[in-house]
Amino acid sequence: MLIEYLQDALFAAVAAIGFAAISNPPRRAYLFCALIAAIGHSTRFLMMHQQVFGLHIVLATTAASLLVGLLAVVLSPVAKMPAETCLFPSLLPMIPGIYAYKTFGGLVMCMYRGSEGEFSHYFYLFASNGLTCLFILIGMVTGATIPIFMLKRISFQATR
Amino acid sequence: MNMPTETDNTATVAACMPDRAGDSPLREVSLFLSDYAAWLLGSGATCIRLERNVDRMADAWGCKVVMTILPRHIHLTVSSPDQSESYTYITATGCYGISFDINTGLSRLSWEVADGRISFNEARRRFADITATPPESPALVLLLASLANASFCRLFGGDWAAMAVVFIATAAGLYMKQLMLGRKADLRVVFMTCAFVSAVLGAGAGLFGLGDTPEIAVGTSVLYLVPGIPFLNSFSDLLAGHYICSFSRFLHAVILTCCLSAGLCAGLLTMNLGMF
Repeated sequence: MLIEYLQDALFAAVAAIGFAAISNPPRRAYLFCALIAAIGHSTRFLMMHQQVFGLHIVLATTAASLLVGLLAVVLSPVAKMPAETCLFPSLLPMIPGIYAYKTFGGLVMCMYRGSEGEFSHYFYLFASNGLTCLFILIGMVTGATIPIFMLKRISFQATR
Repeated sequence: MNMPTETDNTATVAACMPDRAGDSPLREVSLFLSDYAAWLLGSGATCIRLERNVDRMADAWGCKVVMTILPRHIHLTVSSPDQSESYTYITATGCYGISFDINTGLSRLSWEVADGRISFNEARRRFADITATPPESPALVLLLASLANASFCRLFGGDWAAMAVVFIATAAGLYMKQLMLGRKADLRVVFMTCAFVSAVLGAGAGLFGLGDTPEIAVGTSVLYLVPGIPFLNSFSDLLAGHYICSFSRFLHAVILTCCLSAGLCAGLLTMNLGMF
């Protein structure tokens, strides 16, 4: 489990650096994005692991996003950057891409399969993946954005 | 006219401005704030940050500012404290692309002005420097984003073969995106084309029997195109009560996601690949 945990943190850090690069951050932001993403994503991994908390992905993502949001706000004065610069790229590795893909796949297959049984099956896949994806996204953005609004004094004075 | 001193952080508009025949100091401040707000919005800042930064600079220069933030325009009125003089400007945001580097520089500039550390003319010079900041090297972005998407594939349970395929698919799709955006192609066409290219290449894992997780490879290959930052910004604007901007950003992100999905679907149909 330790290896899996470390791998999760490492790959989340690499993903955060790459997604940060797309949004043209200051160079020093890469380090903070990697650190916050690694802590956030590996915390979600632990919370979802059956041997630790075994939480559902929606709850685990919400809690991990809250942690990512708090870390981004607390570290933003150290980095001398707006909290969003570290927060948004650090959050992107938690985007439920595969659920979104399966939702879209389910929708397309609904249109292609004519029989009622097959349609029901693919509609079930579309609805279950879509709802999971939607609730993960809601949990993610809520958890991550709330610290910025709750700690406005820190969030908006980081570049002072 | 006097320039503000290092400790003078309650300077009035007139005190901040140089003497220039025919130019009203308030007019110059209005133009500056209008350009500043348009650049900050265009570089991907949230509405609440935009309001705070502009208000803080207007306070420092002793004037009042009222601003309407529209999806692609800033409508800004600056008036003197006694309301005897006022100017209104509407500025288009332009398409600079998201840049947290510019966002950070402009936020820092607002504090330098608010704390009275720089004069108006210095602020204008700094603003010109910040907005001339070049974007990150395209080659570096290509490498880092490809590695990121390959790592993303791993986080979803993909094996090493799937990661390699995703790396290649992302590199090819993102290179095409850079080329097409360089030639000012329509963003929606760019998203469809790049998703198509990445999906076709991502399907290679299944086509050539590479690894045990080809479905994760093809599903992940287009995820570098997901407009995550507009989605997050839209939620932040929603919480701040900027519903028009929030809805506009959300709709923009949804349209891009639909284009991405259409490209992915076309890619899978071309490769005669089922989605499950």
